[in-house]
Amino acid sequence: MSNAEQGEALQSALHSSHEELGAKWSDFGGWLMPLEYAGGGVTAEHEAVRNGVGIFDVSHLGTAQIVGPGAVAAIDAVLTNSLDRIGPGQAQYTLLCNDQGGVIDDIIAYRVSDDELILMPNAANCTTVLEILRAAIPADVQIHNLHTQTAIIAVQGPRSAHVLAALGLATDLEYMSFVSDTFDGVDVTVCRTGYTGELGFELAIDAGHAVALWKALLAVDGVVPCGLAARDTLRTEMGYPLHGQDLSPTITPVEAGVSWAVGWNKPIFAGKAALDVQRAHGPSRRLVGLLASERGIPRHDMVVRNASGDDIGLVTSGTFSPTLHQGIALALVNADVDGDVVVDVRGRSLPCTIVKPPFVTASPKA
Amino acid sequence: MTPDDLKYTKDHEWVRILPDGTAQFGITDFAQDALGDIVYVQLPAVGAAMTAGESVAEVESVKSVSEIYAPMAGQVLAVNDTLDASPEVMNADPYGAGWLVTFQPTDLAQAQDLLDAAAYEGITAH
Repeated sequence: MSNAEQGEALQSALHSSHEELGAKWSDFGGWLMPLEYAGGGVTAEHEAVRNGVGIFDVSHLGTAQIVGPGAVAAIDAVLTNSLDRIGPGQAQYTLLCNDQGGVIDDIIAYRVSDDELILMPNAANCTTVLEILRAAIPADVQIHNLHTQTAIIAVQGPRSAHVLAALGLATDLEYMSFVSDTFDGVDVTVCRTGYTGELGFELAIDAGHAVALWKALLAVDGVVPCGLAARDTLRTEMGYPLHGQDLSPTITPVEAGVSWAVGWNKPIFAGKAALDVQRAHGPSRRLVGLLASERGIPRHDMVVRNASGDDIGLVTSGTFSPTLHQGIALALVNADVDGDVVVDVRGRSLPCTIVKPPFVTASPKA
Repeated sequence: MTPDDLKYTKDHEWVRILPDGTAQFGITDFAQDALGDIVYVQLPAVGAAMTAGESVAEVESVKSVSEIYAPMAGQVLAVNDTLDASPEVMNADPYGAGWLVTFQPTDLAQAQDLLDAAAYEGITAH
């Protein structure tokens, strides 16, 4: 049982550094993490990432090493995406599904070799994911939970490569690839990954050395510390799903529009039978983007209605877009939805158009 | 930090009694800081009646929405129209340019029931 399950919030190795920066705190999956910083605020932090560079502590994300003979093949028989699509030094977005095809968690898998993978599940799901994998793979493939030993710092924005270069870290990486490097003699894994839609990197380092790396990054001119509130507005503008809202054990990848993260031709993965059926028949509901046509912000769990006033679904994520200055949302609605809709915002009808995300023109592959 | 010349509610509003017997209210620095970046403000109509403790306005930030309760009974005389285009003024200057409503109190003596600055600081101190 983790500390989180005992009701005691875990703290990042960078906790005191965040306190020095005047962080406002929030619980994320059992971890007390910065929501935003004094002197910044979600809007300024969001804009720093879109136009310059911001750094985020994302140490709440889980980290686990899967190692042993045939580790990749063993995991490939459980997670949805096909690990054949990537080679050593590459990462992919993948899912752990239940027998009904619902998403237990979305995960980034880093392929180190045929016999070693690093998995990065969500904070709240890390323990569950590792328990399911432990039961599903051969005993000679070991699972090492490195969650609390590893700090992860995301460096995101068009200027992110300049910041890494200033610290002497590798920047010449393809999108969704990673490389081992060192900072001040300490091992750092540099990953060209992120959750903002901008050019960006995630740096994994032993928690005991995280403060020195964080402070060195902050010392580079123009670097803005960013909280998880900005990470949420940035990912929502890209239409990236968040597990627990847009993905869940009762929402399938077919419904959520992430079928691209399923290796349909694989002989086996968890949830395959149910997902094959749903894919063949088409889902009854699907995740869409909503753009508010008037002032107002659709938010999680608000009801979506069609022009006839029928309830057709729920908002799964919604926020004010700092880039567009409009309300935006992801909503799970009846698959046959057609035309404009309204969202019930505390009794008022907010007209919205259905759009295909991303809501903004950013790309992490730029 | 908390102006001495204002009165406060436990719901984090301030009230300024003006020399002509009218009054103004807004939200406190504590409230704007808790909301974060404010993006929409919905204000009452001029002439509307306010009942103490009942919702009279709505302030929405990037991350949350908050009802604003009338600090005293009265009638709305004016609302701060600049907040429509520049709601961020509430974050930058909550006790000045970020005011919400000017009103005619039904009974000015009710202001005595509100908190003074020291008492308000007492409920926001951690």
